[in-house]
Amino acid sequence: MNNLSRRSFVSFALASTSLLAMPAISTGSARPKVVVVGGGAGGATAARYIAKDSKGAIDVTLIEASKHYYTCFYSNLYLGGFRDYDSIGHSYDNLSANHGVNVVHDWAISVDSSARKVRLGSGATVSYDRLVLSPGIDIKYDSIDGYSVEAQTKMPHAWKSGTQVKVLRDQVLNMPKGGTFAMVPPPNPYRCPPGPYERISMVAHILKEKNPTAKIVVIDPKDKFSKQGLFMAGWEKHYPGMVEWIDNDTHGGIKNVNPETMEIETDLDTFKADVACVVPAQRAGAIAMNAGVTDGDWSPIVPASMQTKADSNIYVLGDASVASAMPKSGFSANSQAKVAANHIRGELTDSRVFPAKFSNTCWSLVATNDGIKVGANYKAGEEKIEVVDKFVSKTDEGNAKRKKTYEESIGWYNGITTDMFS
Amino acid sequence: MVNIVFKFFIAISCLLIFRGLLAEPLLDGADFDYGEYLSGQCLTCHQNSSDEGIPAINGAEALYIAKKLILYKNKELENEVMQLVAGALDKEQIASLAIYFNSLEK
Ligand SMILES: Cc1cc2nc3c(=O)[nH]c(=O)nc-3n(C[C@H](O)[C@H](O)[C@H](O)COP(=O)(O)OP(=O)(O)OC[C@H]3O[C@@H](n4cnc5c(N)ncnc54)[C@H](O)[C@@H]3O)c2cc1C
Ligand code: HEC
Repeated sequence: MNNLSRRSFVSFALASTSLLAMPAISTGSARPKVVVVGGGAGGATAARYIAKDSKGAIDVTLIEASKHYYTCFYSNLYLGGFRDYDSIGHSYDNLSANHGVNVVHDWAISVDSSARKVRLGSGATVSYDRLVLSPGIDIKYDSIDGYSVEAQTKMPHAWKSGTQVKVLRDQVLNMPKGGTFAMVPPPNPYRCPPGPYERISMVAHILKEKNPTAKIVVIDPKDKFSKQGLFMAGWEKHYPGMVEWIDNDTHGGIKNVNPETMEIETDLDTFKADVACVVPAQRAGAIAMNAGVTDGDWSPIVPASMQTKADSNIYVLGDASVASAMPKSGFSANSQAKVAANHIRGELTDSRVFPAKFSNTCWSLVATNDGIKVGANYKAGEEKIEVVDKFVSKTDEGNAKRKKTYEESIGWYNGITTDMFS
Repeated sequence: MVNIVFKFFIAISCLLIFRGLLAEPLLDGADFDYGEYLSGQCLTCHQNSSDEGIPAINGAEALYIAKKLILYKNKELENEVMQLVAGALDKEQIASLAIYFNSLEK
């Protein structure tokens, strides 16, 4: 068969199989309704896939507080001067224009799970057959003595989507010559395990150029961290003598922070900073708590579907879920969204449900053209999401490889944001 | 009755067409819907917009895609991400992905 005729045969064959496979949509009754709360990595992906793949058979409403989504992923690259701020902002227009998603910009205030209704800030209620929550994290302000909502302008966490990272960048650029940047990373489990250390790399990148006698001190509540060997080797190579990382065992625990005096007190010592990034402990976004699908700080889920253990009509994706072996990342949230979307379509329109498959890769930039990565495939175990196979960059892999890894991450950024918003 | 005859006709023609199409052993067992589901994993990275750092594969020849995946699976092509991804795919999954990506617009 030549190419041309093969191609037309394929499309004919596909058209006829999809005719046969078309699910029976009972006429007369209203379309089944899915409400998605949170238009981030998990929620935007879920809304898009459910609407796109059900080809209009499911009525999808996305409730998202902000008009634009500024990705936390690549916000460190903005901080380091590798991206401008506008380039990490995305609009929801295509989700409605291309897939018919009903996008409502409002806060979801509460969930009545027995009546299957979500109440919005405006006072309106939206009913659902299936509810997807992907609200990301809330910051536990009281997890560090002295930290508070007010403290965040002095000691920004910049760990949620939004403009805090701009404040932080200004503070770093205006730091006194030879000053000290202090970073307090969060305790486990938290959003983006390599994130704090990529942030340190990006701050070092700015300081090396603009303020080379400045110092960075990392006061960590942990004794080890993600891609530690790779980051530490990178800091030694690109920013020798600039970064001091102090583990919990050495400083004995963070006792409090003082945004007025810019001091961070530990058992060992009191550190005085000119600029400080303090990232407290985290928990699932408030709406997950309100819906009654959390146990402690996070939502336990059924690995095969991402349905919550508490309520099979409610799915929780991304950072807010207990995804066991999967890190809290944008990639993970996007991957979980596709498993949930396939399951929800199956439940509501009888489309085929395939076995859950999850994956993640986290890239980090250590310095110009020095990218590293860690990744894994996962499967749904009975109780937990389990690792199937994994990889991590090597310390001795050479400059060309590192540059290619960085370029790959740019491809991924463009890819995942298209996958969420196109 | 007419309906049943029509469906029978469609089913037979699909069978014949697929037999012809899938005479290529690498594409044996391809399942379009399964390919659509599996493609979700790939689309986080592979989009027309990703081409700067990750090759776009939408609309590529099915055989080309299948052959590349097998090379990554056998570690005859370098790249940790792709070796990991392809390493977890069986023959049917590779074939399904190949015909699905072939159907997407370049
Ligand atoms: C500095 C940093 C760097 C990172 N780098 C990477 C990276 O390189 N790669 C990667 O994969 N991940 C990275 N991440 C992690 C990634 O940003 C998160 O894991 C991901 O965004 C989680 O997706 P989500 O859907 O759970 O939540 P989010 O993406 O945070 O989305 C939640 C959305 O819900 C909305 N919302 C919340 N509650 C309500 C409500 N009640 N009503 C209406 N709307 C609501 C919010 O406005 C928000 O838009 C990074 C994070 C940080 C902080
Ligand atoms: C984490 C990102 C990522 C994911 C997920 C991913 N790929 Fe890839 N893929 C890459 C990168 C990067 C390359 C280029 C590798 C290189 O050239 O070193 C690539 C290369 C390829 C190629 C070869 C393209 C060419 O023209 O050389 C094919 C085919 C391919 N991928 C298919 C897939 C399929 C199918 C999936 C899903 C099952 C998938 N990929 C998932 C990143 C990814």
